[in-house]
Parts: sequence; structure tokens; C-alpha cells
Amino acid sequence: MNGSAMDCSEARLHLLDDQRGRLDVALADPLAAHLADCAACARDDLAERLLTEQLERRLPQHAAPLALKRRLAAEWAAPAPTARPVPARIRRAAVLAAVGLVALVSAMAVAVWVGRPPAADRVVAEAVTDHLRLLTRADALDVRSGDVHQLRPWLTSRLDFAPVIPFAGDAEFPLRGGTTEYFLDRRAAAAVYGRRLHAITLLVVGRIDDLAWPAPGRPLTTNVRGFNVRLWQAGGLGYALVSDVDGAELAQLAARLGG
Amino acid sequence: MVPRSAAERSASIGQDALAYADTLFNLARYLTGNSADAEDLVQETYARAMRGAGQFEPGTNLKAWLFRILRNTWLSLARRRRIDPTVGGLDTVAPPVSPPAKVAALRDDAELDCLRKLVAEDIERALMRLTEDARTIVLLDLEGLTEGEVAAVVGCAVGTVKSRLARARQALRQLLQDYAR
Repeated sequence: MNGSAMDCSEARLHLLDDQRGRLDVALADPLAAHLADCAACARDDLAERLLTEQLERRLPQHAAPLALKRRLAAEWAAPAPTARPVPARIRRAAVLAAVGLVALVSAMAVAVWVGRPPAADRVVAEAVTDHLRLLTRADALDVRSGDVHQLRPWLTSRLDFAPVIPFAGDAEFPLRGGTTEYFLDRRAAAAVYGRRLHAITLLVVGRIDDLAWPAPGRPLTTNVRGFNVRLWQAGGLGYALVSDVDGAELAQLAARLGG
Repeated sequence: MVPRSAAERSASIGQDALAYADTLFNLARYLTGNSADAEDLVQETYARAMRGAGQFEPGTNLKAWLFRILRNTWLSLARRRRIDPTVGGLDTVAPPVSPPAKVAALRDDAELDCLRKLVAEDIERALMRLTEDARTIVLLDLEGLTEGEVAAVVGCAVGTVKSRLARARQALRQLLQDYAR
């Protein structure tokens, strides 16, 4: 402690908040002043940053086995369990019935949908669905590279437009790679950025004249089922950024992307 | 339209919930220490989530809700097996009083050096030596949960998450230094 308003124990308690971007504004200056004065706390700050970086980079991530995922998907599709165990034969029939019902409802939804321009909420919902689809696919990224100059030509060769990926990634939001994905009835470019252990999906859609995309210069930010979504338009292309990272972090990446 | 019945609510969050299978399995793996128990834990978590889907409040963080169910399920299982996952470990001890500045500087420089040289195996082993509570808080923080969400998962006051997380990370750093020697 070197005479600044904040002492060492208080400063150390706030280091992580500062690193996570959630430090109370009133504490920002006292903490910065303390770190400038106190070499021990400044080193502690660096050690905490290194620890986070190493945890994010090197801590092994254990993915759920595919067999477990299939089991979970089948169980969730079946009716809620009752007190008495249901025989496997009936469970199988129930799964088939559920699948049939889902197909029927989907067909009806498509029938109602055809011929009507999707509203903004539909665009947002599709962006979230695409993000989830990429998260659940084991082989989601066809190009696993942080080099945008490798990704962009690959995307262009598979789409009927030239997608612009305005940000090549950095240490805070590394570019993990990309692929193509269906956005409603058209193919879109998908680039995936990382943020700690989270994935952030950027969708670039070439034809948006029949979609309720926000007008140029008027981006839309919203939250759907816990996912933060930002839509904007630039150069005639539609952009959708989706993730479960918090809104402030998504806004940081959107700013780098020009959205 | 807001789903009315528990079954409708369950179906409405089903796809979203399944997208977190990897994340939940990862935490389960670090809680149980092995894949077979982690599979059982995740399966039981989803079964409970399906039954309790009506209690999920739309618009809140589904991932945090699932983490809470997983953690409570793990505590129930551990109790049944007469394991107490919440005691012991370095992080239950108050952090040491700061040493004199010169000693601290030398120690910290060595620590920074060893932090830079860590390998995955060291980090995993050190993390597994923390208490279950500390391990959970460190992992939930890495997952990007807010302090309020972490507090809801581990069942403590929001105000204590900050100090528990700081203590857990301090203990982790101490263990990592030991491995690097």
C-alpha cells in the first residue's frame, strides 16, 4: 500500500472485475492509481491475467460423448417421464409419434410462412438457430483457421456473393474459422470468433431485400432466450452476430466489425 | 406465445438446452473426476431439467439454470455416496498475509515465469486439487457467468462470490507454482 485511496486487499479483490470489464465506474480510477503506485499489486494483476489466459488456452475441455448426446436428444423428444417406468416398446412409439408431430407442425408452419416476408423477430430467431446449429455440430467449421485471407476466398467460392469479413480477429476475439450455413432459404457465410471459452457466430447474408433486416446505420440489438444478438447492414450485406457472451462483450466485437 | 403446460415448456427449451451438453459435461467431468460418472451426472441433470422445465423463467440464462441443476444433482449424488465435496483443499484456508515487498517481488517474478510455462496436465491436476466448491466457481467464471449467476448456482450470497473466486484462484496459483518446481 503506497498511500493511494485504495489499499492492496481491496485492489486485489477488484482485479478480476477490471479484467472482465465489469468494474464499477467509481472504482476504475482508484484501482488504476493503486496499480500505478503499487508494484506488488501490478504484478498480481499480471499474474491473474496470465492465469486466465492459461486456463482459457490450456485447460483441457471435455466434450460430451456423441452417444450421450444422442441419448439426451431422444429422451428430450419423448414425453416427460412419469412415476412408473415406461416400457421401451412404448417409449420408442412415443418418440416416433413426437417426431411425426414435430414434422406435421413444421410442415404447417412452412405452409403459413411461404409468401410472407419474415419479420425482424424471425430474422433474429433464425440467427440464434444457426448459431446453435453450429455449436451442436461436431464438425461445424469447414475452415479451421484464424487467417481471414484463407477463409474469405473459401467462402466466396461456395456462395453466390462475396462475403466481407470486416475483422480478422485479435487476442481478445480470435477468429476460429468459418463455414457456410443456411439462413432461412439461402446460403450465408458463417465466421466464428472466440471469447474465452465461448463461441461468437457472425453470419453474413448476401440477399436481404426480402428480409426485415435493420436499415443501414440503424443496428438492432436484442436478447433471445439468453443469447445476445446484433443485426446490422453494410454494403448491401446483412450481418448477424450471436452469442451467449454478455451484451457488452458482444458490442465490443460488433464495434471491431463496424456494426 | 408463452408455452402453458410443463410439456410445452420442456419442448420449447429442449433444443437450446441440448446445445449446452458439452459445457455441462465439461463441468461434470471436473466435478466427478471421471467420464463415466460425468455421463451419469449429465444424464440425470437433463432428466431433472426436463421435469422442472416449467420452473425455468423465459428470458433468464438457461445455461446458468442448467448449471444449478447439475451442481445440486452432484451434491445429492455425493451425499448418497457419503462424499463431502465441499470441505478441505487449500482454498478453504484464508490467504496468507502478504510477505515483505522484496520477498513478494522475487516470489511473484518466479510465479509469472512458471505461469507462462504451464502445460495442460499441470493445470488440470492443480484444478482437481481445489475443493469442489472452488473448482466450480473457477470454471463458472471462465464460462462467463455473472457473479449473480454464479451465486445462484453455488447457493451463496452474490457478495461472497467475489472473495471466494479470488481465494480459489489464489489457491490455484499456489498449486501451479508447486507443480512448476
